[in-house]
Amino acid sequence: MAGIELLSDQGYRVDGRKPNELRKIQARMGVFSQADGSAYIEQGNTKALAVVYGPHEIRGSRSKSQHDRAIINCQYSMATFSTGERKRRPHGDRKSSEMTLHLKQTFEAAILTQLYPRSQIDIYVQILQADGGNYSACVNAATLAVVDAGIPLRDYVCACSAGFVEDTPLVDLSHLEESAGGTQLSLAVLPKAEHLALIEMDSRLHQDHLESMMDAATQACKDLYAVLDRVVRDHLQEVTTSIGE
Amino acid sequence: MEAMLKTEKILHIRSSRGKTVRVVREHYVRDSVPCYSILCPGSCQNDGKCLSGDVTHYLVPDWKVVQDFQEILEFVDLKGVIFMQTACQAVQHQKGRRQYRRLQGLLKDAHHDCILFSNEFQRESYFPREKGESFEKWQTRCIYYATVWYFHHLNGTVPLVMISEDEETIKEYGSKTQGVFLTSVKDYLDSFWPHLNTAHDLYDSITQSLREKGSESREKEYPEHLPLSVLETGIKSGRYIQGTLNVNKHRAQLEAYVRVQGSTDKNTELNSDILVFGWKPRNRGIHGDVVAVELLPRTEWRGRVIALSENETENGEEPQSQPVPTGRIVGIIQKNWQDYVATFPPKEEIQSQVSNSKKVLVTPWDYRIPKIRISTQQAETLQDQRVIVRIDSWEASSLYPSGHFVRVLGRAGDLETELAAILVENNIQVLPFSEAQMREMPACNPETPWTVDPCEELRRMDLRNTHLVYSIDPKGCEDVDDTLSVRLLNNGNLELGVHIADVTHFVKMNSLTDLEAQARATTYYLADRRFDMLPAVLSADLCSLLGGLDRYAVSVLWELEHSSYKVLHVWYGRTIIRSSYKLFYEAAQALLDGDWTVVEEIPELNSLPKDEREKKLEVLIWSLRSLMDVARHFRALRDQGGALELEGMELNVQLDQQKNIADLVPKQPLEVHETVAECMILANHWVAKKIWESFPHMSLLRQHPPPRKEFFTELIECAQAKGFHIDVSNNKALAKSLDQAVYPSDPVVNKILRFMATRAMSSAMYVSSAVCPQVQCYHYGLALDMYTHFTSPIRRYADILVHRLLIASLTMDKDRLLGGRELHKLAEHLNDRNKAAQRAQKQSVELFQCLYFRDKDPLVDERCVADAVIYSIRENGVLAFVPRYGIKGAVFLKNQEGLVVSVSPDGSCTWMPGTLQRFPDRIRSACATGSTVFSLFEHITVKILTQPSRSHADRIRMEILKNKPHMSQHQFQDGECSQSAKMDFVKEVIQSAAAVQNTDKVTMADPTQRNDDYCQSGPDSLYCLLEHIRELALLDVNGMTKDPSLQPAVHGT
Repeated sequence: MAGIELLSDQGYRVDGRKPNELRKIQARMGVFSQADGSAYIEQGNTKALAVVYGPHEIRGSRSKSQHDRAIINCQYSMATFSTGERKRRPHGDRKSSEMTLHLKQTFEAAILTQLYPRSQIDIYVQILQADGGNYSACVNAATLAVVDAGIPLRDYVCACSAGFVEDTPLVDLSHLEESAGGTQLSLAVLPKAEHLALIEMDSRLHQDHLESMMDAATQACKDLYAVLDRVVRDHLQEVTTSIGE
Repeated sequence: MEAMLKTEKILHIRSSRGKTVRVVREHYVRDSVPCYSILCPGSCQNDGKCLSGDVTHYLVPDWKVVQDFQEILEFVDLKGVIFMQTACQAVQHQKGRRQYRRLQGLLKDAHHDCILFSNEFQRESYFPREKGESFEKWQTRCIYYATVWYFHHLNGTVPLVMISEDEETIKEYGSKTQGVFLTSVKDYLDSFWPHLNTAHDLYDSITQSLREKGSESREKEYPEHLPLSVLETGIKSGRYIQGTLNVNKHRAQLEAYVRVQGSTDKNTELNSDILVFGWKPRNRGIHGDVVAVELLPRTEWRGRVIALSENETENGEEPQSQPVPTGRIVGIIQKNWQDYVATFPPKEEIQSQVSNSKKVLVTPWDYRIPKIRISTQQAETLQDQRVIVRIDSWEASSLYPSGHFVRVLGRAGDLETELAAILVENNIQVLPFSEAQMREMPACNPETPWTVDPCEELRRMDLRNTHLVYSIDPKGCEDVDDTLSVRLLNNGNLELGVHIADVTHFVKMNSLTDLEAQARATTYYLADRRFDMLPAVLSADLCSLLGGLDRYAVSVLWELEHSSYKVLHVWYGRTIIRSSYKLFYEAAQALLDGDWTVVEEIPELNSLPKDEREKKLEVLIWSLRSLMDVARHFRALRDQGGALELEGMELNVQLDQQKNIADLVPKQPLEVHETVAECMILANHWVAKKIWESFPHMSLLRQHPPPRKEFFTELIECAQAKGFHIDVSNNKALAKSLDQAVYPSDPVVNKILRFMATRAMSSAMYVSSAVCPQVQCYHYGLALDMYTHFTSPIRRYADILVHRLLIASLTMDKDRLLGGRELHKLAEHLNDRNKAAQRAQKQSVELFQCLYFRDKDPLVDERCVADAVIYSIRENGVLAFVPRYGIKGAVFLKNQEGLVVSVSPDGSCTWMPGTLQRFPDRIRSACATGSTVFSLFEHITVKILTQPSRSHADRIRMEILKNKPHMSQHQFQDGECSQSAKMDFVKEVIQSAAAVQNTDKVTMADPTQRNDDYCQSGPDSLYCLLEHIRELALLDVNGMTKDPSLQPAVHGT
């Protein structure tokens, strides 16, 4: 798209951030009492809700069951009111199936599934407001929800997107930046060990730039980890004091 | 991480389907937005360009002022200008890309004391738009409060002046804050810059053209342009064709061509350019615009006119070639409006024009640009001046574009004015280096001479004691950017070394000097002066590898097998050298020839006692000999590969000197010239290989694509006239057949053939290897698979880039290199600037030629009569080349009254009624007294005179006198004589200009003074010059094809 200057000569992005700055993050855990775990996250104007059930017995056909580990069942959906124009979003369209699959792969890599053989964990995520970085908001919300449910994880899974404009990597793209049509990289990282849970990139990028983009995205994920960790600790504090009373 | 506050902006945007959508965008504001002022009392991180502190006030233009009066803000005199982000965005969104880019350029320019303050990202200066507030009001409010914030931020140390054209604004905010003043542009200029007349004039002319924009008549002269989206789909579907508009210089009113971009192979119908005939189908396109054309039906196609034309004549019965695709312009995709040099019409015409309106039609200097309508009251005072004019708009209702007048260059016809006009027309800006740039230079003066840094000594290879390094340059040369060395290694092999001045050590990437050099891209040579790319302290001193001084260098060392000279090993790296001898070409050649008497002229040797001197001399001569042997070997290798002898020195001296400084060209080309050149080619070649291996996607290479066969048609036909066969199948065959095409009695024949071959070549250019596959990197002229420019970093920016690449490839640190796309953009810029430099140089020499012949009386002065050789036949005349002056031009055999040339028995020519008959290799003029045939390569005698022009550059005209060779006491082959004749141009013209100046009681700065003014260094090294000439020979194809009055007739069919 012509006309929009994504990165000014002074080093500011359209919304006033610097290239390596994340959007404002606000998160809460334990928002629903009926589910085993739940969390709500806002990354800028992207808002996501995640709910976790399980581990429990396998529902539906038993043939899916694995004798040595739990299976992860994910479902991604977007609210009809999540974008500028109201639009009915049927389940199982191509985009959300892809997202579902990505979520599933991410959490299969992060949850210690071998602890729960022949059982199932359900992760439901819904985007309430979409403003770029839907995948990363979902992963981050789901991580908090899984932590809330008390399911053992190898590490937090932190996800962040990155783009590449004028030879500078931009992290945590907003909808405006995403729709400008450049390359976008989504990265989910287990930050302590710096293991990659998922990496996805659309459109072309010169190989020389891949490294710098990965570095920027990894650093952003680590920044995100600090925030998520704070949220979890605050939540624990709150819960323990309320139990203590 | 610093604190940021998140806010939200709510916008209503029209979506692609036409619905209005409510969009919420985040907007982050922070406390620490750098203010970029030296006076900042706080802790702003002001890196980069800053506002100076020694001003009486800072100036903040309102958004509307930036939009409309940007040109006034561009004055260097206006210091301390703060552009608010809000205003810049207003330009970007409402004024389009062209003006926004100008603004960005202004902000980056080190000469201008102006900055951008990101007011919308600063927490305290950001104000969200209120309900019901209009967008314009909000922008003004933002800018005003940002100004107030800025004032308080600097603790009120500097008053701020905000200028606005809106009276309401001035009334509303005028007295709100003490220390922040509001005023209109007019009042501001009146009270702060009462003596800056150019700014006042500019203000008047802008306001006038703004006022008139509203009151245009509605009748349409041109069809409306189609909207961009329609054009895009049309181009995709093949209905319209996109291309660059090229106006024929000699028929600017009627003929223009659209050069189709990219390969047109898939569309077999369109293998040539599309003709746009007449001004209506051209539909407001200006030379250089990227346009979309629609083809007309075949029945309306026209041919191009093939007769030589002297002036624009509109009798439609001129002979035409075969019809070619013809079209009409339906839309302009990218405008190429620039600054144009123009002249006001003579007084009588103004008066007739004034009667109906206050507008004046000025005639641009460039024939290809239409007349421009400007409104001014000064038309009479500016009568004989050349002025700069800028086009503002071209409405469909107006026959001519409207523009405004920017500034005066000077009196038409003056040397300085005309040279300034050439610079402006080629978009060359050479201001003296700014103080900030000079501050970046290392200290070097007689009191504290520059010395080698001990840290650098550790990092670099020290060649001071191990290598005998020397430079070979013309006598008296100051800036030496290349030195050579040869030595015998312990294992018996030879080591050849080329050491190039380490400019990148002094010019750090993205420093002000670097940016300036990048913008200039090259040193500009005009006929009598030059404008250096780097400040003199570098180009003439620290980067000049002078004899006996320690200097930093970047070296390439080859280990060569002792007998076969096979390259065994190459070493690249940074070094410290001390050049032992600063030789000049003649001395080096004399030493090689065994003539030791020149030793007296080599100061380094002369001062030594005799026996020591002889010992040293022996070593030096051995070194020179081996150097020459090696060079011969590599030259032979390239010859086998098919290197073209187009760069042959002889050829260039004879043919290209109209584009070159004549007085430095040597009388006799010596072999040692070639030796040095060969070493440089070798270094360039190996460096190209090295950087390409390290960074296959980020290297800057020099590419010379093979020419298209059909361009050789004219050459082949010409050669056939003399019975030669030219084989153009590849470069080797071409080189061979050119060597054989020697006509024993007339050496000019071979030169003309070589010149035509050169003309048929495509030009060499810089490319980024990211966009150019390896096979296309072949250098056709030099017959090398890879080539770049490495050896002259003092005068070419490309070499600086290559130096950085080479250093990065040694350390494998590629963080600071340019990415592929950036490099591609930069390469295009360099190519563009190089072309501009060549054009400017050519035009300046032409200017000198014209001034030279202007003062001569062609009837009396014997110097105006010369011998010419016919090299091309046209319908009503021939194109001829004058070897003595190196002038090419048209000679008419039929004049405007329709009379043809008739030759009396003694050879003199008269005009008689008759007819002309054209054949491929000759032209016959028949009249009552008999008929005469003029064939190719025939010698004729011509009279040279200047054709004066009021609003354009003067032109050289040639008239036929006799059809016999001209006999004069000067033998034109005599190199010395023609040399001095060429020098005469420059010398005489300068002298007469100085004389004129003196009578006006104005002392003209002598050249050395001017050099100081512009921080320029002294004369250039000869190698550089020759290299330059060679580039021209290979490059200036476009320039040359346009040069004869018409495109060759064979070209279009």
